[in-house]
Parts: sequence; structure tokens; C-alpha cells
Amino acid sequence: MGENKLAPHVEDVARALGSKLSEEEIESELKEYIEVYKLTIPMAKKTMVKKHGGDASAFTTGFQRKLAELRPNEPNVDFVARVVTANDKTIEAKGEKRRIMYGLLGDDTTTLPYTVWEPEGMQLEKGDVVSVKGAYTREYRGRVEVHFGNRVTVRREDPATIDASDVAQGPPKVVTINQIRDSMGYIEVKARVLSVEPKDVTVQGEEKTIYTGTMADQTGRIQFTAWSDFHLKPGELVKISKATAKSWRSIPQVNFDDRAELLRVKEKFPTAEELSRTSIVPISDVAQRGGAADVSVRGTIVEVRDGSGLIMRCQECKRALQKGTCKVHGRVEGYPDLRIKAVIDDGTGSVSTVFGREITEKLMGFTLDECMDKARQAMNFDAVKDSLDEALLFRIVDIGGNVTADAYGLSMIAKEAELVTPDSKEDIETLLVDLEETK
Amino acid sequence: MNAREVSWRVFADEYSSSTMEYRGEGEKPVSYIVTPLGARVNRMLAVGVITEIEDVGEGDKPRYRARLADLTGTFYISAGEYQPEAATALSKMSPPAFAAVVGKSRAYSPEEGVKYLSIRPERIREVDAATRDYWVLETARSTLTRIDATGEAARMSQPTAGEMMRLGFPEGLADGVVLAAEYYGDVDLDRFRGVIRDALRAVLPDGASAPKAPEAERTKAPEEARREGAAREEMQELEVGADEEETVLGIIDALADGPKGAQWERIVEAAKEKKIDKVRLEEVVSALLDKGDIYEPELGMMKRI
Repeated sequence: MGENKLAPHVEDVARALGSKLSEEEIESELKEYIEVYKLTIPMAKKTMVKKHGGDASAFTTGFQRKLAELRPNEPNVDFVARVVTANDKTIEAKGEKRRIMYGLLGDDTTTLPYTVWEPEGMQLEKGDVVSVKGAYTREYRGRVEVHFGNRVTVRREDPATIDASDVAQGPPKVVTINQIRDSMGYIEVKARVLSVEPKDVTVQGEEKTIYTGTMADQTGRIQFTAWSDFHLKPGELVKISKATAKSWRSIPQVNFDDRAELLRVKEKFPTAEELSRTSIVPISDVAQRGGAADVSVRGTIVEVRDGSGLIMRCQECKRALQKGTCKVHGRVEGYPDLRIKAVIDDGTGSVSTVFGREITEKLMGFTLDECMDKARQAMNFDAVKDSLDEALLFRIVDIGGNVTADAYGLSMIAKEAELVTPDSKEDIETLLVDLEETK
Repeated sequence: MNAREVSWRVFADEYSSSTMEYRGEGEKPVSYIVTPLGARVNRMLAVGVITEIEDVGEGDKPRYRARLADLTGTFYISAGEYQPEAATALSKMSPPAFAAVVGKSRAYSPEEGVKYLSIRPERIREVDAATRDYWVLETARSTLTRIDATGEAARMSQPTAGEMMRLGFPEGLADGVVLAAEYYGDVDLDRFRGVIRDALRAVLPDGASAPKAPEAERTKAPEEARREGAAREEMQELEVGADEEETVLGIIDALADGPKGAQWERIVEAAKEKKIDKVRLEEVVSALLDKGDIYEPELGMMKRI
């Protein structure tokens, strides 16, 4: 057996053993196993790595699979992949806070999302190439996910094994805006640009101009960031392929750079004006997206929370005072303000909403000064909360703004709000006709 | 802490058909009533007509029981010392009145196999008819979504929440429908569709604006229509007698000379003059009662709401 034929195996063993033995030592020992003991090459490698205390599991090469071959719910999978993204997250499970890692793995066949449940002692960084043994798979929203449980072994490989350019992104997933979620890999989206403006930023010490704005399709609106100049103009209908989605403050956004393919499309599509008109979406949609920018929902006010009405705020930091005391600045002279904290519920979900002074005045029909008078007359700050409750509980309201999500559910600081008295008769008739037709 | 539970929109008919209780997991498990159509209800919003309020308090512990009729049945409401806002509101309300209630689902089983469902109100308040109509619309839509979901689940050999979500149903509903499918088995979806139709028709001002198609169908197959159960029949009569309804309402208004409304005997006489016989009159009146247009302040008296 020629030496050059053995060379890749020597490298394999060297990688498995780290710096325990020199390549010369490995080569001569490997030769001995093969030529003297007549072991097969895989067996020889395995035996040798075991003997020197390395992890022989890396040599079950026959079972190593490509990511595209993985199926949902496999209890034990081995593969080599490049860490495309690696993120940290703290979650609460069974009452305990724990840190997990998640992101995307890629090889030359596809990319898959992964989650590391016990990241202690496991260093995964973007750009690492790792051989993974004993992971398992699940399915989430139609996509295979790789999970690293407590039986997994992860070994770092030479990053050159799978170069970044080798990672197959597969065909980008074609999505509508309401389907865009964090970390979905490459996506393709067709949307009309509603607004765009340049922004100067410093990225890794380098001055750079990026372009941010909003785009929309029939299903919703989303913020985007173009990391290179596509000369985008408001009103343009574009198809962007190989964009990525990432959440910022729990609201998904679209990102793309010069690796993306951007096509200007000419076809029938709602105009910018039609798309800017707020379309009301079910709250369950917003929840499923994990929050959203600039959405409108219609729901019933099912609770007007404590802390609504007339409040005093700290001059320094604008925090609401509790019994004349600011959490940070102690006992201070406050200035009065109005706000509403309410829960809006549409039957598919609920949004905890804060309305600022302007909207509060509009919704209750009293100005701040009038509220001050009212409170003085009643000698009671809560008088304002009571009349707010009186005016608003069970009213139907359209609200618009950015919705964020956390463990307590959805919340919005309303940018717009309007009480509505819907005339439902027409909708009821339409629904009846539909029902008769499906009879 | 758990995320806030959504306020489900469920008609009284669907709610009171429920027999499944379900307890969530985690540190603070939440209890739910799961309806046959997979609404996993912990909190709910109901709007209807308060038809009865009973003060059942003892000593200084207030307790009020009330009935809230939507167009499909009745919700039972009970508010005690731990629901002070709702109890106070009920003490000040007098039936009949359109009211909205948001509260928690409760099941009470005095004996094996018997289950009474009620709402423990967080808030209850008088509302206007437009709010009621919007609730009926919302509830009809959400019930239809549940009917779709239940139908999809029935087509799967082993329905899972994941599969349901892939079909586009939201997570909460997907979970509920899977639970319901296992517990209730096959559900008569047409019956629930019928209930929605009836509720929607009852909200419309009169039968004239209802779709024409069913009219034709009814004249073709009166026998068949008759077999479709009492509630349905009532509704159909109601539509046929849309003009009669107006007439009867007119009579009741004209004869109402006190706070308790019009005397039944006098209504019968006046109706006869308008060529409405007693049997027919009873049908029309019971339809009006169901719609919540009139009520019976006391036996033998009818009054417009």
C-alpha cells in the first residue's frame, strides 16, 4: 500500500487524536495494524484512536449522512456540517432559566435549523465545521430540525472541510410576508417597497451605507435592511431571492445583501396605496409570527388595567411615580400624564396595549386638564381610571403599532387607535349566503 | 407565569354541549373546558340578553346568579365575593338588558355524569345591540373555523397539533381540536352549522333580507324541513312570518299600558283581528322571545325590550 494512499487516513486519525501523536507516529502505527495485523482500514483507524484515548465515534464514516437525507424524528443521526449561524437564548423550562443555543447548520446538500439544549462546555461558533454524532431530529412547521441532546458528541473539524461557499442553501423558501420567521434560512419574497431610506452605520469599524425601509404584500408589512445598494425606490415591486430573516426585538425583519438576487417585477399587484392602507389581521397571526411591525388588529377591550388614567411621572426619567416616588430618583415632584393600559382581545389572541396621552384623550373624550379637574373634584386620582373603564370596557377598537412578544404574551404601544361601532349586518348576510352555499 | 388566556368566542349551544375538562401542564396548571369543536376555553367573552338575575347571597357575602341568553342557548353566570366588580354590576342591572361578560369557564359536577357549565365573570357590563351583533358575527366566524378544523382532524387517522398547524390553524385551536377529536370522536358538524345559521338569521332585522335560496328549497321539500328539529323549524317559521312579526310587535307596543307590558289575552284578541290565529301567534311570539325582541316580565305579560 502506497504512502500517499494512506495519507488521508493519517490525517483523519490525527484530527481525532489532536496533538497526541505526530503524523509520522500515526502513519507507522497505522501501517502496522494494516500490514501486520491485517485489519481493514476503518477498523485500523478505529482501533488506533481508541487505544490512544480519542473519540472513535468519528470514524463511523459509513453512517455519516448528508443533512438533506435526515428525516424527522430520527433518534440518532451523525453528520458533518458547518455552523452557519449560532445564537444564544435564555428560555424558561419547568420554572428554571436555562441557556440554549440555536441557529443553522449547513453542508453541501442543504441547511437545517438546530438547537443545543445543553451548551455548557460545547463551543459552537459561526464558521466552525463540526462532526456531530448522536443528535436527533424533530419536525417543526414542516422542516427537519436537528437537536443536540445530552448524548451528542461534537468535534471540531478543519473549517476548510466545508467552506462557507460549499454550503448549499438549497432553493430559497418562497414565502409571503406573514410567513416570515426568524432563522428560516434563505427565503424568496415578492413585495412592493413602501419606503426606503439610506442610513450610515459602522460595521466592524467600517463606515457603510445601508438601506432600510418597509415592504408589503397582501399578507402584511415587514421592515427590511439592504446591506448593499440596490437603488430601491418606493413603489417598486421586487422579487428578492436569497434574503434572510432575522428578528429584532422579537419582530421579524428581512435582510439581504449582494449575494441576494433582486428582480424588478412587472405584474398585477396591489398598489403601494392599497398596501399602506392598514389591513386588520387576526391576533393569532401576529402571535405565530412572534410579533410584527406596523400591524393593525381589531378587538374588544376586555380589561382596563390598574395604572390607567391619570399618573404622575418623574421629571428626570419619565417613569411613572408610585405614591409620589420614582424607582430611580426617589421622592420627586412629578408632572401629570394620561395613559391607558388595556387588554385587546379578538378571540384568536390578546394584546396588552399601552395608549399614550394623545390617544387616551381622544378615546375618552377628555383632555389632561379636564382630567386633573375631575381628579381634584373627586379628591381622587382613580376617578379618571373609573371613567376610562366606564367609557372603554367592552368597546371594540382598532389599534395599530408594533407588536412584540415575550413570555407574558403580546404587547403593543399603540401608534393609532380608534373606537369603532361596526355595523355587522352586511357581514352577517354575506356569511349567511356563504353558509347556505356550502350546505 | 403563563401568557394570558385568550377570550374564546363560543355560542351557548357549543359551550353547553361540552363535557370535557382538561388541565394544562406546568407549575400553575390552567383548567379548561374543551368544547366538541375544539375550543380550549379557560377565558371567554359572551354577549347576549340578561334574562334573569337572582340574589343568592348569604349574610354579608354577596352572590348573584344570572342567565345570559345568546341566540342559541343560555350561559349561566355566578359572581360572588371574589368577583366584586361583577357582583356589584349584577346587583345594579335589571333584566332584560344586552350585556357582555368576560370570565372564566367553570364546570360543576354535583354527581357522576352530570356537568353544569357556567361562567365566573371577571367583568360584566351592559352593552348596546351593535356590540351584540358584532359578537354574533365574530362568534359565528370563529365557530366556522373550528368546524373546518374539526372536519380536517376527522380526516386524519392520527391528528396532531403539528399537522393542524401546517394546514394553517393557529396553535391554540390546533391543540384543542386534537384533544376534542380524541375525546368526543365524531361530531355532527352539520348540526353546529345549523346553529350558526339560525343565530345569524335571528340577528338580521327580518327574514326579508335573508338569502332567497333556502326559501325555494323549503317550498320544495316541506316534509324534510319539518324533520330538522324544533329549533330550526321555529326559525323557518320566523322567516315566513317576518311581516307578522312586525304586526305582533306593533300590537304589543300598542297594548302596553303599564311597566309590565301587554296582557296576553288582549294580544290574542288584537291578533285575531289582524288575521293571525292563536297557534300562529304563539309561534311568532316564541320567535320574538328567542330573538330577544320581547320578554315576559311576568306570566301572561309581554313587553318589548
